[in-house]
Amino acid sequence: MATTKIDIRTRWDTLHKNGPFPLKKFLTTRLEKDATGLSDFEKYTDVALEIQQLIQQAANTHECFRAIGSKWSMSNIAHCADRMHFNSFMNLKFPIFEGEMHQDATYKHSNLYWLQCGNQIKEVSRFLEHRGKSLKTSGASNGQTIAGCISTGVHGSTIDVGSVQDYVVGLNLITGPNPEDIVYLERKTKPALRDTYIQNFKARIIRDDEIFNAALVGLGSMGFIHGVVIEAENLFLLHRYVKKIDKDEALQLADSLDFSNYDPKIPGTDFKGVRPFHYKVFMNPYNTNEKEYAVEFIYKIKYYENYKADFGNPIPFQKEFIYLDLIYLFIKIAEKLPKAIPKLIKMLKSSILPKEEKTTVGKLSEIFWDAGFQGRAFACSFGVDHRNSSKALELLAKLTRDHPVPGIFAMRFIKQSKATLAFSKFPFTCMVEIDGIQWDDKEKLISLKDYSTKMIEVLKNNNIPFTIHWGKNADWDFPNLVNHMYGNKAKKWEKVRSTLLSVPMQEVFSNNFLDSTELSKPLAPDDGLIV
Amino acid sequence: MNLRKITLYFGLALIMTSCYSVRFQVANGQWEPADTEREDSYAGYNVHTLDTIVTRKLTTGSHYFNITKCPSEALHTVEYRATFGGILLNAVTFGRKKKVKIKYVCIKENSLM
Repeated sequence: MATTKIDIRTRWDTLHKNGPFPLKKFLTTRLEKDATGLSDFEKYTDVALEIQQLIQQAANTHECFRAIGSKWSMSNIAHCADRMHFNSFMNLKFPIFEGEMHQDATYKHSNLYWLQCGNQIKEVSRFLEHRGKSLKTSGASNGQTIAGCISTGVHGSTIDVGSVQDYVVGLNLITGPNPEDIVYLERKTKPALRDTYIQNFKARIIRDDEIFNAALVGLGSMGFIHGVVIEAENLFLLHRYVKKIDKDEALQLADSLDFSNYDPKIPGTDFKGVRPFHYKVFMNPYNTNEKEYAVEFIYKIKYYENYKADFGNPIPFQKEFIYLDLIYLFIKIAEKLPKAIPKLIKMLKSSILPKEEKTTVGKLSEIFWDAGFQGRAFACSFGVDHRNSSKALELLAKLTRDHPVPGIFAMRFIKQSKATLAFSKFPFTCMVEIDGIQWDDKEKLISLKDYSTKMIEVLKNNNIPFTIHWGKNADWDFPNLVNHMYGNKAKKWEKVRSTLLSVPMQEVFSNNFLDSTELSKPLAPDDGLIV
Repeated sequence: MNLRKITLYFGLALIMTSCYSVRFQVANGQWEPADTEREDSYAGYNVHTLDTIVTRKLTTGSHYFNITKCPSEALHTVEYRATFGGILLNAVTFGRKKKVKIKYVCIKENSLM
């Protein structure tokens, strides 16, 4: 049998120390050992029963139960005060074979993999690379679990790919303690797996686009995500280069995403007119005199075995690269400035973002490699239609100059998601984000809560439709916020939740975050939805 | 007086420079995670520490440690720390006693499939 260790705790915190939050019990489940001779299918179904027992225990005591991955979210989305479940050791992986495909499937079987929830991006990449495959995209780093990624909408800046949830084609949820509460979801219009194969996981099959799309970004509240089926692709290489370009040009590219006449003039290459795989703009909001912005261009190129002989080892050891992720860049800049935050902000007014201009070529997993803990950090991230990106950036940067906080901005771009509550809801969403270090009341700066309230207000007052990254800092108590961002889609999401979860289970899988966002109100099942 | 100062500075420099750590890690392995409240570069890692003094007996040849706490049977990170005290102990005991201070992180179980 799988085993669960229960630690009695008083508090829990995120990786970047955005809490602490109160906690009663911290649960860690491990799979049955190999030595027992169980097959991977048996280990998988065995641990599913264990999770169902844990859910039942939570329900019996009217407590919440919440799965967490690598706790990278900075909002309190992952937290619940009663029972938090660490599922990182639930990391089985199943390749899909030809005979296991649904008769109407349009996917190549060799691209599909069933991954248990606790698989982290780094180990998934390694697993896929040994089979000549790659994830389609990831976040700026690799520590998140696959279930954590999709629950909150982890993204990179892959203009034509989307976020992590956008290559998920099947979901295995545990929605309660009964045998019928183990469900497998996929889209009716894009089936992937044969029923007889799914029976190995003892799951009830639901093929429904609306339910699948709602569960895809489930905010940790659509039950326990036990497994996901992802679509990978053949290995590819990424050619990365960071350079300073004219500010107006960088913003014009952001607003248009039209690279058809643009020449990035990267040494040794000819990417003129080529749309990059990834486009990211960095910006210091305090220095209004800067004529150029640092821009990260990443182009997708064909994989070949000996790329390291041509370009060297791409693993970005930290002293060689500055533009690894936004918080890392900020820490590197702040290292050279005074420690006192008001002085640091003052110095940022005359600071110019550094040059990098080094070519790196590597696999996705090598370009978006480890990002170690950088200290107590905050991050606020707003999604806007890319056509509003320069306007939104300027408004938020001005707000930051008026109410200074220790951070800098970046813009990343993502293709629209089909997930009901994906923050990448625009045809191409620009994520305008500020990352930085935490400050306290002694610094006499605006509080993070007030700053994030003003961010919402400034976009609303200027009629810029927006979304907010579920895993980042924000004023999640802002009245009517989710309804403003998603309108009727939020109602659809709630309806699907009430279809998948009984009323007691809706309470088990709720938390303060869901209460703040007004998505937790238990609804009775609606007969109008197909299950 | 000057000689004292020079000796003091030399001693301090010796202590400072003899206290260092070296970390080795595999580039593409998945570290074993842990939910801790660490606020250093090991935040999120399950770190094991070995802090002991090894006494070499006359009959003992080269000695090694068996690491038994890795369910995956593989290592992700090893950090070796040298301290002035450790070097001094080794010197004054003519190599008979060695202070060993290492941190290690295992590869996550099932991640090598």
